[in-house]
Amino acid sequence: MNALNAVLVFATAAPEGGEEATTNPILPAWNEVIWGAISFTVLFVLIAKFAFPAVKKGIDARADKIRSSLDEAERTRDEASTILDQYRRQLADAKNESARIIEEARQAADKLRQDLKSQAEAEVAEIKQRAQEDIAAQVERAMGDLRARVADMTIELTEKVVQRNLDRETNLALIERFIDEAESAA
Amino acid sequence: MQAEQVDGYAAALFEVARAEGALEVVEEELFKLSDVLSQSDELRSTLTDNTIPAEKRQEIVQDLLATGKATPVTSNLVSFVVGSGHARDLPAIIKSLVERAAAERQHSVAEVRSAVPLDENQRTRLASALSKNLGKEVEVKVHVDPSVLGGISARVGDVVIDGTVRHRLDQLKESIR
Repeated sequence: MNALNAVLVFATAAPEGGEEATTNPILPAWNEVIWGAISFTVLFVLIAKFAFPAVKKGIDARADKIRSSLDEAERTRDEASTILDQYRRQLADAKNESARIIEEARQAADKLRQDLKSQAEAEVAEIKQRAQEDIAAQVERAMGDLRARVADMTIELTEKVVQRNLDRETNLALIERFIDEAESAA
Repeated sequence: MQAEQVDGYAAALFEVARAEGALEVVEEELFKLSDVLSQSDELRSTLTDNTIPAEKRQEIVQDLLATGKATPVTSNLVSFVVGSGHARDLPAIIKSLVERAAAERQHSVAEVRSAVPLDENQRTRLASALSKNLGKEVEVKVHVDPSVLGGISARVGDVVIDGTVRHRLDQLKESIR
């Protein structure tokens, strides 16, 4: 506006300077200046009245759109970050869980191996013990059978000897002795 | 056969013998028959063989008793038991009858086993000694049993006095084992 005022001042001041001013090829004619100014003013008003709000509205809408996009991007980024954190936690949990399961499996395997070893050792000890008992029992039985056989043979032989030597007189003597003992006990 | 049946048969035989007035003779003859049965597996298996008709088995036992000069009462009683199919229980029936007859005389029976028969003097002395020892009158019934080898054993009820060589040998066998 200051520049426009300067031009108008110059234009109005020029006729006061003499004939030289009207011949200046740079300066337009006054009417052109006036019409130009009026046209400029009208155009300026029209633009300010009609075009500028639409442009401003478009700029505002675009700014809002950009802001909205930025917000959306920010929100999406936050969501992505949250999901990423969640995935990271889940991954860590899964790693911990898998480590725990592996550890439990290892402990179970150790316990199973230990149990099987203990069981096998116990079975071996039991089998050994049973075998020893069986052997001892068989030895004892064999000894018993042998003693019984020896006793039977001894008695058999003794019986034969007794039968050979036990004649009627000896038998009667035994009977007499039995009766005598019964009488003396009475 | 159950004990009640054995006692029942023994009571029947006892009453018949007593009714016939031949209780002592029948008792003695049956006791001898019991000895014979215990010593003869063949006779025992023949009399208890169900494949042989009862009449045939009765005939066999009657012939045997006739050979031993047993009285007809004894022969008929034994024949009755064999014919009833109870020959297997004859020794138990006779034992019950002997105990019943002794009880009738207020006596107990001493079952004596010996490899050789005892004479009358030995029987009397043994009966007297056992009576004094047990505090009751005892009748001696001698089973001649060669398996005792020597000496004698006496059983009165649950009391057993065993002085046989067989008993000594059994004791020796136990001590060796």
